[in-house]
Amino acid sequence: MKSNPVASQPTRVSRRLLLQGAGVAMALPWLESIPVWGTELGSSQDVHLPKRFAVQFMACGVNQDHWWATGSGPDMKLGTSLQPLAPLKSKLNVISGLFNRSAVGVGIHPGQTGNILSGATLQRGAELRGGISVDQLLANRFGEETAQPSLVLGCEQPITGYHETNFSMAYSSHISWQNATSPVPMEVYPSLAFDSLFDNRGNRRNQSILDRIQEHAESLSRQVSGADKAKLDEYLTSVREVEKRIEHVREEQSAASERANGRGQALPTMQRPDNGLPEDIREHMRLMCDIVALAFQTDKTRVATLLLCRDISGLFYPFLDVRNAHHSASHNDLSDDFERITSYYVSQFAYLASRLEAMPEGDSTVLDNSCLLFINNMWSGSKHDSTKVPLLMCGGLGGTVATGRVLNYENKPDDQRKLCSFYLSLLQRMGQSDQSFGDADAPLHEI
Amino acid sequence: MNLFRRIICRLLFCSLVVHSQCDPCLAEDENQSQLGQRFQEQILPLLQEHCLTCHDQDQPEADLDLSQFGKLADVHRAQLTWEIILERVAASEMPPRDAQPLSAQQREEFVDWIRDARAHEAQRNAGDPGDVLARRLSNAEFDNCIRDLTGVDLRPTRTFPVDPANAAGFDNTGESLTMSPALLKKYLDAARTVAEHMVLTPRGIEFSPHPVMTDTDRDKYCVKRIVEFYQQQPTNLADYFVAAWSFQNRDSPELTLDKIARAHDVSPKYLRTIVSTLELQYDLGPLAQLRSLWQELKAIPLGHATTDQVSILCQQMSDYVYAVRKEFETYFGNLEIEGVHAGSQPLVLWKNKQYAAHRLTADFARLETPFIDATQDKSQKPHIPANSISMQMWKSLADDTQRERFKAECRVFCSVFPDAFFISERGRDYLNKPRDEQEKGRLLSAGFHSMMGYFRDDQPLVDLILDEPGRSELDALWQELDFFTAAPLRQYQGFLWFERTDSRFMRDAQFDFARPEDKAALTEPLIQKLSQVYLEKATANGGSTVALAAIADYFKEINQHIRWVENSRQTAEPLQLEALLAFAERAHRRPMSAQAKEELRQFYRSRRDDDGLDHPAALQDLLVALLMSPQFCYRTDLLRDTAELRALDDYELASRLSFFIWSSLPDAELMACAAAGELRKPAVLKHQTLRMLADSRVRGLATEFAANWLDFRRFEEHNSVDRQRFTTFDDDLRAAMFEEPIRFFMDVAQRNTSVLDLIYGKHTFVNQVLASHYGIDGLHWSDAEWQRVSNADQFGRGGLLPMAVFLTKNAPGLRTSPVKRGYWVVKRLLGERIPPPPPNVPELPNDETQLELPLREALARHREHESCAGCHDRIDAYGLVFEGYGPIGERRTVDLAGRSVDTTATFPDGKQCNSLAELIDFIRRDREADFLSNFNRKLLSYALNRGLQLSDDSLLEAMKVGSLDGQPLFHELVEKIVTSPQFLNKRGRDTASDNRPLETAP
Repeated sequence: MKSNPVASQPTRVSRRLLLQGAGVAMALPWLESIPVWGTELGSSQDVHLPKRFAVQFMACGVNQDHWWATGSGPDMKLGTSLQPLAPLKSKLNVISGLFNRSAVGVGIHPGQTGNILSGATLQRGAELRGGISVDQLLANRFGEETAQPSLVLGCEQPITGYHETNFSMAYSSHISWQNATSPVPMEVYPSLAFDSLFDNRGNRRNQSILDRIQEHAESLSRQVSGADKAKLDEYLTSVREVEKRIEHVREEQSAASERANGRGQALPTMQRPDNGLPEDIREHMRLMCDIVALAFQTDKTRVATLLLCRDISGLFYPFLDVRNAHHSASHNDLSDDFERITSYYVSQFAYLASRLEAMPEGDSTVLDNSCLLFINNMWSGSKHDSTKVPLLMCGGLGGTVATGRVLNYENKPDDQRKLCSFYLSLLQRMGQSDQSFGDADAPLHEI
Repeated sequence: MNLFRRIICRLLFCSLVVHSQCDPCLAEDENQSQLGQRFQEQILPLLQEHCLTCHDQDQPEADLDLSQFGKLADVHRAQLTWEIILERVAASEMPPRDAQPLSAQQREEFVDWIRDARAHEAQRNAGDPGDVLARRLSNAEFDNCIRDLTGVDLRPTRTFPVDPANAAGFDNTGESLTMSPALLKKYLDAARTVAEHMVLTPRGIEFSPHPVMTDTDRDKYCVKRIVEFYQQQPTNLADYFVAAWSFQNRDSPELTLDKIARAHDVSPKYLRTIVSTLELQYDLGPLAQLRSLWQELKAIPLGHATTDQVSILCQQMSDYVYAVRKEFETYFGNLEIEGVHAGSQPLVLWKNKQYAAHRLTADFARLETPFIDATQDKSQKPHIPANSISMQMWKSLADDTQRERFKAECRVFCSVFPDAFFISERGRDYLNKPRDEQEKGRLLSAGFHSMMGYFRDDQPLVDLILDEPGRSELDALWQELDFFTAAPLRQYQGFLWFERTDSRFMRDAQFDFARPEDKAALTEPLIQKLSQVYLEKATANGGSTVALAAIADYFKEINQHIRWVENSRQTAEPLQLEALLAFAERAHRRPMSAQAKEELRQFYRSRRDDDGLDHPAALQDLLVALLMSPQFCYRTDLLRDTAELRALDDYELASRLSFFIWSSLPDAELMACAAAGELRKPAVLKHQTLRMLADSRVRGLATEFAANWLDFRRFEEHNSVDRQRFTTFDDDLRAAMFEEPIRFFMDVAQRNTSVLDLIYGKHTFVNQVLASHYGIDGLHWSDAEWQRVSNADQFGRGGLLPMAVFLTKNAPGLRTSPVKRGYWVVKRLLGERIPPPPPNVPELPNDETQLELPLREALARHREHESCAGCHDRIDAYGLVFEGYGPIGERRTVDLAGRSVDTTATFPDGKQCNSLAELIDFIRRDREADFLSNFNRKLLSYALNRGLQLSDDSLLEAMKVGSLDGQPLFHELVEKIVTSPQFLNKRGRDTASDNRPLETAP
């Protein structure tokens, strides 16, 4: 199969143009994603398809009565709360019994949350201290290759302050940590998250800077000696070279869009979300899922976390006929109310997975090359029990993880059911050579 | 003739056309032609007859092809080669024995001619500034500049590759400092990193030691500064009593209260209050008791023997005040309203305010109604035990008149001694637990349930202790907290979340409009609306007047705070932009034209308008652009931009000075001198140079000049010590070893001692780790981490030679290496050129225990080979003297194999040395001039950012002349350099570079 020639003058959409008149419908081509990293649309063997990693987080436990799965593949049986995933059974792994040792026995809520992706021991009091989360470790490793190292999104504002356990409430609000002391700033505005996908955040900003300093160096070198000129040229050449690389990334993105256009496919579109926060949490979550899907499909980033709600969440669900806010509802976690909440969250996971599943990529789909996780900080919200956590995985990470399975580690000894071992397995399957992560120095069995 | 004169000559001749007989240029030409004639007639035949057999085009010996020298100009172009030829021929090492020998006269002719040619060349261009390339900053310079610009030592080049050194051993020349796309990318990342540390304040910008990109980081930065401010304030009462005693017993009328306060590090204002309070003639309350202790204290006369007595008594007074003051503390219970959580913001803030407002008042309630049954009292109000100080006083009072007087005296006592000067952490007080059982570590927290929020409670500190600047500083810090962290906005969002969930108060439908997610909820109309709805419900729930007022106040104040943040952020934007432009001027080391500034503003505006960035992001990008700009990361002051040689302008000179002495950019004072056009005045130049040498930033000269010269710059990464065998060698000891010569050198530079101290000094500098490594005891370790040891020679130390860093670096692990140590002395200190060893030298085992012979015998055997002896005769003796020091510089009498060490060394001329002291004596007698000449050459090469040339010879000669008793004082050497023509001028862009630097010759 031959690709269309790269347009010599790729029509790049100026972000500024898009932003003029907020709220006006703006179309972004829903790209078929291959051409971003391969100039030829060869068969999937020829193309090195990137692996992506995303996490959706729900807090305060699930309704345990309805959170179960048995069997495997198409015969898998799912509990009520997992029903939204029924169409995706073959791409799903239901994993139970994993836990974070440092999130047990330290007191409830923040201490059970801020380390869910790092396994680090958290420090109480004014000074934050934990560890880098697995998503950010990945972002550091291949963030250079994409417009953005990672997307860190949330549907509920982060808060700080102190919990009664004397942990900072910041641990309840942040699952992505760039290092031991700082969380990654979380974007809660869909409009801004959308904007960040246009490359003005990283590359475009750098380009403006490089343009400027280039002018400066040129004006300096006009009247100086030959030897000095050569010295400044060395600098100028370096500036141009770096600019060229940035331009290259941008051109590839544009070329991809051109090619997709040229194939006359019906292009799905996404409107730029309105400024401000959506009134309805359903719309908020859906937009955030769309943005992650868009980012993965167009390879703007390969790492995303989406905090659907924070720990001790104050979200309300009138559309589910639940009057209590999330946290209060979780104290009655075996209720029908909380079952509806749980199902609703799982449906968000199913939604994101199905969006990615609908995006062909080589012979497979974007979902097949991804690992989507759904994780909760507690098994039981009423008991604040984190001795095991609910965990779902969708997508086979480019065929490196078998799916359609129910994996139960509940009866394994503690050192064989570490969340960090699971993360380590994923890191290795994403081509990383790490031999340890968090409190784990061995990958998880049977993954 | 120096370069200026040559230029002037040329200019003259161009205009006058007519040549005159007294033309100095002609005289020079005559000289030149004579030398040329001698070369053709005498030297060329000698070369052909005696040298070319080996040193010709085909496989020249030692890579030296002498056939390339056909005329005088060829010789001038290869000065270093001819310097070596001169050395070897003068020493009769060349031609070798098996070649056609030179007669004594021939040798003399040959040597004389080279000397004459060199002298002529040196004279001809004396003072030439030379070929100095404009270049990027070295990593060290980059880090230092960032440190001096931001006030924070961020070291953004940590991940950069190590800079390569030039032939002289320094990484400050254009030849070695190159740029590549990969490095430029690192510059970009480094600039971004710096930008992530930028703090926006109401007045401008500052920088944080950690990134401030998240709310939590910004909180940390602002809170820490306030808490540190508090901790630095003099609030320890005992210190005031000591100062009061000093004042009372002062032995000189010169000693004012202010002076004494300063000497004791206490606030003059509060000391004045204390002194007058102690003298009050009260007789009933705690002040009476305090006064009697004071009388006792006053009676102690000044003198050393009494200091302990004084401090014990002052501590007693202080303990007494703290104990009794507690008993008068005011107590406030919680405000309560049906349905409102006790930990909600309005109620908690009300209580905080009550405490804050009563820190100077005395509460007598517990004395007057002491008999409440504690088990019945639900307020959990603390009770005073019957045997407490105040209760006993109270009981002893005879009547109401006395009680009133007692109260009045207590009020005075409490107004002088607050129950707290400030509150730096607060738990959840609404839980009514005693203070010491409340949560710890919640710095400046307001004490809400789960919600964030800060509360300022420091009025006693402000009123009693701080002076005006202190007050402004503290106010500014609290403003910055609100401003930079948007604390009021976040606090109010927390309120909205909490009241709708945990507290349940706002779960009714009428509150649905107030959602924490909604930015509009922070606007004035919606805050007012919520205030109204909230108060309606609180009133309906039967809230008391006080409670309702507290709620109304809460909404009013939080609205004010939010508005303040919004408005002041708006107002501050242009101020912050201007602050960044001022930063740019410092970063670029030159004043900026109005046009250049306007361009920067334009860049900022374009980032906002065209790229849609917000203000902080646009400022960050501007900062990144400034730091990426060649005006910052290149030494643009070195650019040659005129046709002919010219003097440096004031700003160029400022940069040149500061990069020489500090390895960093000029400071404000230097820039001010440049701006005033004063810097080139000799007196000003000298004054500034001396000031800079005395400044602590002279550390830049120690680490970049001295450490590179002496080859220990990267010792902090030295990893060849076997830590299993040498268990005392850890990172701390390694760091201390590195630091010792740095301190030593800085001392020479700052105190202006003789550079000979580097070798002859009997002192050194140690910290505790190094002192114990050296076995130096008898030192007192208090605050000073490092101290000078004057009699280090008694412990086998003193001066550079026996410093552990060199002994360790020049030992291969489990044995010493007299060769490496000797080589280091001969090459680094004495400046001898020793060729590299031939490739086929057998390796000695790296472990002393594996040696069959003692090391010295193995070496002696090695020297029996004639080809080895040539160099090792020059090296080994110097190293063998150090055999009394083991592989990590520890003193020893036996080696690792258990053999006694022998420190005897015989020099080629038969002289013997048996100890370090004797080696030093030997250097003093025979090699001092070599050391000094080497030191001067290295320092000059470093200062000029280039290799040396023959034209530097006359300056080097001038540097040799010591002024005070022949002692070469460090400042004088530096002064001679910075006032030399090569330092004060730069070449024009068209100056022919026929004057090659020595060090880069073939």
